[in-house]
Amino acid sequence: MQIRIKLYASLRWKLFEEAEWECTPGQKIASIVEQLGLPRNDVGTVLVNGLHAAWDEIVQDGDVLSFLPRMGGG
Amino acid sequence: MSDNKMMSTNPESVVYQRCTIDLATGRADFAAVPCRNLEDVLGGFGRSFQILAERDVANAYSPENPLILNSGLLTGTSVMTGMRSYFSGYSPLKQSGTGRPGAMWSTGSGNFGNKFKWTGLDEVIFENRSEAPVFAVLRDGANGPEVELKPAGHLIGLTGHAKIMALAAEYPDAHFAAIGPAGENWETNYMGAVVMSTDNELKSGEPKSRFAGRGGMGSLMGYKNLLAIVAQSPDKLQKITPEIRDVNRDILKSGGSARFQPTSQGGGGGTWANIEVLQVFHAVPLNNFRPKGCDNVERLFRDEVEREFEVATEACHRCGIRCHNNLFHKNEDGSRGKLAAKFDFEPLILFGSNLGVHNPKEVCDLIHRCDLLGMDAISLGTTIAYLLDYNERHPEAPILNGATFGDYEKIAALIDGAGRGLYPELGRGVKRLSEALGETAYAMHVKGLELPAYLPDTNPGYIFAIAGGHMSMGTHMMLAKEGKHSLDEWVQAITSGGLLQVGYDMIGLCKFVGVGIGHDIIVRAVKEAAGLEIASADILASVRRAYLRGLALELRQGFHEHEEYTLPSQVMDDPNHKVTLPKFITHDFLAQLRERVWSVFKPEMEGLLPVLKG
Repeated sequence: MQIRIKLYASLRWKLFEEAEWECTPGQKIASIVEQLGLPRNDVGTVLVNGLHAAWDEIVQDGDVLSFLPRMGGG
Repeated sequence: MSDNKMMSTNPESVVYQRCTIDLATGRADFAAVPCRNLEDVLGGFGRSFQILAERDVANAYSPENPLILNSGLLTGTSVMTGMRSYFSGYSPLKQSGTGRPGAMWSTGSGNFGNKFKWTGLDEVIFENRSEAPVFAVLRDGANGPEVELKPAGHLIGLTGHAKIMALAAEYPDAHFAAIGPAGENWETNYMGAVVMSTDNELKSGEPKSRFAGRGGMGSLMGYKNLLAIVAQSPDKLQKITPEIRDVNRDILKSGGSARFQPTSQGGGGGTWANIEVLQVFHAVPLNNFRPKGCDNVERLFRDEVEREFEVATEACHRCGIRCHNNLFHKNEDGSRGKLAAKFDFEPLILFGSNLGVHNPKEVCDLIHRCDLLGMDAISLGTTIAYLLDYNERHPEAPILNGATFGDYEKIAALIDGAGRGLYPELGRGVKRLSEALGETAYAMHVKGLELPAYLPDTNPGYIFAIAGGHMSMGTHMMLAKEGKHSLDEWVQAITSGGLLQVGYDMIGLCKFVGVGIGHDIIVRAVKEAAGLEIASADILASVRRAYLRGLALELRQGFHEHEEYTLPSQVMDDPNHKVTLPKFITHDFLAQLRERVWSVFKPEMEGLLPVLKG
């Protein structure tokens, strides 16, 4: 099945801005981050279709996953 | 500080060095003061607020309001970021409905804190005010710390940076804290910052200062006719033991600090990255904190700005966290030109999108003007945003120069005028301006302190911040980061983790260390660099007491526990549906939040303040 992945700020600079991504049914967000080669510590926030999601959430065909870097400071 | 080994149970075994300078007479008294509690040991506002709590101060600009300069326990050590110094006093800006001023502190890095600590002093209390402008020289003398007040007529009217460079020519082994023209114009400008020198600044001659901006401590300094402070000492770099080396390595390796590192080193590029993250939710402040969903803020993204400027990431003295993003003009041949500005999230937004200015060159110029004049970028930017909003709503009767959003040249004139004391409407902050105009709903402040560049629609925690919205309550990004919006989650965040952020404003380290104040890294740092064994739980309890003492002090100064612990009413009465984050802040939500938070805090606040004499 296919999902769309969007990366922002430092994550985008490291990899890509937006891409279609093949994944297997039942695959969890944590494993997709691993496939991308992103250190988990670099990802601060995950959105699925615009809503906050947890690492162990299972993605569905057609989902849009957004990965945001950690925010901080002032 | 003495170097006694100390367990958490006997803080009085630690002694700190205080100098009290009476600016009216020039007299200086030195004292070795035993710590009363762990807050005194950790230092910063934890110590200074106990001094402020002993004073009955009804007006910030009165002789009985002290200006306290102090350090934290780890200032001047070899622990990474350990170079903070703190300025505390009753604020001209933060004011309760009764008219009494709120206690404030403000802090900055640079090398001034180190030099100050190395003079042998931990604390200087500036009492009263001088008849004529002076600067204070604190030095490490042959028989201990020495102080001297010197005439400062030659510094009048100079920018903060120019004052620093003038003094540097006279005191080559020193660092400096100065005020700019804004602080000198304290009667009409309450948001003067303390401008602090950096090694980069002194070496390059470029205005790469750091700022203790919040709460108008620079204006208080101006009221006292104290134009600058010189901290003169040879460098006394602490030996980096294997244990301290490990602590510093762990700070650099912690995910908390990595996000502030340069992108070239795989980091997040500093706070600048926040703009792109918040834009995902259309939550970047625009036109006075009112995003419209199609906000044109992408021009301020880092990669866009890099097309026009060279971005250099630099660090404070000996710090491995290179968090400063300094922008330089590019010469025609592609080489690096003059410094344009430092570009971090707060000034970038508050002098950019929130004023309707999207051209990076123009934003740079506005930031630069504010910095040179020595004003708090948050207070000034947010107050100007209100004025532009007011003028847009009242085209028939605009105020001052009639500027509205995006009027770069008129905004530049407003900044210059405020800094030179010509626009008290701006210089006295958004609370007073909005009350004078009778339109307070969209005045972005809490308790008289202007809001930083995070939407109030996303952070009810602002109401329990005691020294500026995002620096003294660590909840400002919780909604965007985690999506949490239930009452239980916000009560929990405010009453537990959020308040602990202020611990960094005690201990002498920078928040960009990025770990919780009770983290093992902090415990080890205190043990190795200060020789004190203090358990994590005791650090956490001390920070909590210090925060709650600050809150108790607010109530004693007349802040109303319901009416003044609230957000700008626009947030509740006219929610912004362009922001894609949950809209959960209603009047009822805030009322319940106050009730539940106060029910946790109030029993713990009992007994934290001394009884005032008389």
